[in-house]
Amino acid sequence: MSGALFRSRPSALVSLLVPLALIGLVVLVGATGTPSLEGTVIQILCNLIIVVGLQVFVGNSGVYSFGQLGFATAGAYVAALLTLPAAFILLQTPGLPHFIAGADSGPLVSTLIAAGVSALLAAAVGLPLMRTSTLAIPISTFAFLIVIYNVVANWDRITGGNAGLVSIPTTTGVGAAGLWAAVAVVLALAYKWLPSGYRLQATREDEVAAGSIGIGLMRERMIAFILSGALCGIGGALAVHQSGVLNPTTFYFGATVTTLTMLVVGGARSVLGAVIGAIAIAVVNEFLRGVENGADLLGVISIGEAPGLAAIGLGLILLATMIAMPNGLTGGREAGELSWLHRLGWPVRPPLVEPEVNDGARPAERPAPGALRAERISLAFAGLQVLRDVDLTLEPGEVLGLIGPNGAGKTTLVNVLSGFQRPDAGTVSLDGTAVTGSSPARLARRGLGRTFQAALPFPHLTGLENVAVGAMGMGAGRRRAVTIATGVLARLDLLRLATVPAGSMPPGSQRLLGVARALAIQPRYLLLDEPAAGLSEEEGEQLTEILRNVLADFGCGILLIEHDMSIVMKLCPRVQVLDDGRTLRVGAPDEVQADPAVIESYLGSNFLVAVDARA
Amino acid sequence: MTELGQHLIDALALGSLYALIALGITLVYTVMGMMNFAHGEFIMLAAYALYVLAGLPFGVAVAAALLTGSLVALLAERVAFRPVRNADLSAQLVTSLAVAAILQNIVTVAVNARAQSVETPAGLSETTSIGGLLVPNLEFVTLGLTAIVLGGLGWLLYRTRTGLTMRAAAENFDMARLLGVRADRVIAISFAISGALAAAVGVLIVMQTGQVSPTMGLTPVLVGFVAVVIGGFGRIFGAVIGGLLLGILSSLLGVYLPDGLVPFRDAIVFTVPVLILIFRPHGLLGGEVGRARV
Repeated sequence: MSGALFRSRPSALVSLLVPLALIGLVVLVGATGTPSLEGTVIQILCNLIIVVGLQVFVGNSGVYSFGQLGFATAGAYVAALLTLPAAFILLQTPGLPHFIAGADSGPLVSTLIAAGVSALLAAAVGLPLMRTSTLAIPISTFAFLIVIYNVVANWDRITGGNAGLVSIPTTTGVGAAGLWAAVAVVLALAYKWLPSGYRLQATREDEVAAGSIGIGLMRERMIAFILSGALCGIGGALAVHQSGVLNPTTFYFGATVTTLTMLVVGGARSVLGAVIGAIAIAVVNEFLRGVENGADLLGVISIGEAPGLAAIGLGLILLATMIAMPNGLTGGREAGELSWLHRLGWPVRPPLVEPEVNDGARPAERPAPGALRAERISLAFAGLQVLRDVDLTLEPGEVLGLIGPNGAGKTTLVNVLSGFQRPDAGTVSLDGTAVTGSSPARLARRGLGRTFQAALPFPHLTGLENVAVGAMGMGAGRRRAVTIATGVLARLDLLRLATVPAGSMPPGSQRLLGVARALAIQPRYLLLDEPAAGLSEEEGEQLTEILRNVLADFGCGILLIEHDMSIVMKLCPRVQVLDDGRTLRVGAPDEVQADPAVIESYLGSNFLVAVDARA
Repeated sequence: MTELGQHLIDALALGSLYALIALGITLVYTVMGMMNFAHGEFIMLAAYALYVLAGLPFGVAVAAALLTGSLVALLAERVAFRPVRNADLSAQLVTSLAVAAILQNIVTVAVNARAQSVETPAGLSETTSIGGLLVPNLEFVTLGLTAIVLGGLGWLLYRTRTGLTMRAAAENFDMARLLGVRADRVIAISFAISGALAAAVGVLIVMQTGQVSPTMGLTPVLVGFVAVVIGGFGRIFGAVIGGLLLGILSSLLGVYLPDGLVPFRDAIVFTVPVLILIFRPHGLLGGEVGRARV
């Protein structure tokens, strides 16, 4: 993941060349071996294409689909029916429409059509399926697999039913399979490194945070689902043109389990993982099958025929792998990110390019003057009234402090403003447009940024990628996103975090990174939910500095929830006090702290002492 | 009217079977968050216990089968699932698939890959007439067993200390641990019960079909997963609703679909869960439990 955004050509090149070299090696073995070995190698390559197809969706989205082999089935049947000789069509699929039966497409055309049909099917199926929740997608895709199987197995006049199809021309050679596998790898890596791929990876890392930077979950999942479907269709089409036979169980549950296992064992987050997993498991499996069919191991131990032994052996190897390396053989890294390369002195992470500080850090000039305005917001959770008729106005360029005791409803109000919670009553408007009930992603795209009480970083992405993906969420291209992100990091004095994966940063850095990420969407309004909580004193001061900078440079309106009164006093010319879901007071800090009701309900008698002590 | 009643009883019996499968899967899912694909193999192994113990009194064989299910589940938990308990979803998934493959192929090696027939008590295939309805005795057994299991599980979960810890663990595993719930124990108990439920399903399937095969667990486990999800994630009794719904739907569609569409019954049955998940993303009883706090 890391590196690719960095104009770090060496790293990206290694990530691309290593899987291609592996494929080349496999092709070489097939081309120089016996015909039976060649057949096995072609099947391995076809499987590899399907596994890479799975990686595109599963690896980048982090959501398991059990349905992708349904697209392999579709691709295989389309390719088979397009190329079946006329004499066999009459026999096997009498109901086939004439224009298909008469089509005499070659291997290339039929494979391309298979890819197209699979992609269309994925689009049609994905439209409803991607609407189901993250936890439901595995099962709803599974249901899709069963539906496809059931249809193919019973639509006798078109598919040949359970008996399947035979005498399909065997046109897939080892060279063609290798080429297609290379194409699949290049496509998968290209997708992963495009803004769309990064946006999907962000949803894998944290769905909520991804929404806050304008990423539309369903849209990104759809794109990967379709690309994945097309690749699986290609794999299915090529495989059937190697074996010459096809039936409904060819790409059913067994193949689903095999390919998913290959992906996970290799390391699902990386394309390299897909390639290595597919090859490694296939090789082990072939070896075990040889043993199963009776073999002399080094001429010492002689094993008789014992069907089932190979599967037991493979199962044990899988168990051991998962227990020892739960992230798979590659740990989910691309070749250019492997640490041993680094140790060998390969420049995996080159120094950053000089940031173009002034480019992109300023929000685009948006003509419409206005404000973020909430009117008479009320909300209850299971009978507990959390917000009662709350009004709030945040002007561009101002800093508004939102304070109140725990449970006053501050975070809930921010959730309502940013679209994470729909109010029972009341309206929210953004620059004069009513946006009540809009999704967080849509609000982000309209210029509303926010951070969370938890830092919610994208742990497997680097600091730079975390911030750049914020810009990508707003539709920025790669180059522009990197420019914006570098600019924001430089302005916030966080460039040291650029190359570090967010998951291995200390909590304070993650939190500051969260602010940087929210700024990368170039918001007009920024809602900060207790940004200083859990920060050390030094980090707290750095944050205060950052917020001052933000105010000066970025010119956005800031709503600041903060318990540390010294920060509030320093930064906020205007403060709104919430208590028990009501607005208690809005005013200048000194007015607020002089208000007896505020002191009574929230600040307590120690408050003034505390402020005096800090001042 | 009689005909409808007949179909309804058949449908309810199939729904009960599915509910038992889903219940076994959801028990493990709620405390561990793992989709246990090896559940089908627990079903299969219990059925093979009946096959191996043919000749013993049937009641003894059934008791042994239930014990087999529990023990195999406990063993799998200890050897395979405990080490990946904190790994991510995909590692758990592959682990359970590996366990399934190992168990299935041990039986293939030890017995045979082909189906074997098992003799069951003759009384089961007879029918009893109630108010004009001819009810196969096996359906009585299925319905009765489901009622007993549901009652027993309800009692365990809501009337005992162990049940309280299990529900707490299902609600918030980490918090439950902090409050002193012993994770190993709760998970082991869940697996033991889950294994026994699988075994009960295995016994019922043998009674119904009179045979066993290494792959007999596959279809039940697939149906079970779908039932769990449409019932609602982590909702123990949601699984029962999901199972009943799926069984009743499948059974009635088999009767009432026009002839030409009957082969496509499964395609229709499995489209329904997708529709449910579109409109109720967290399942029928799911509510908003899956939503992260922000």
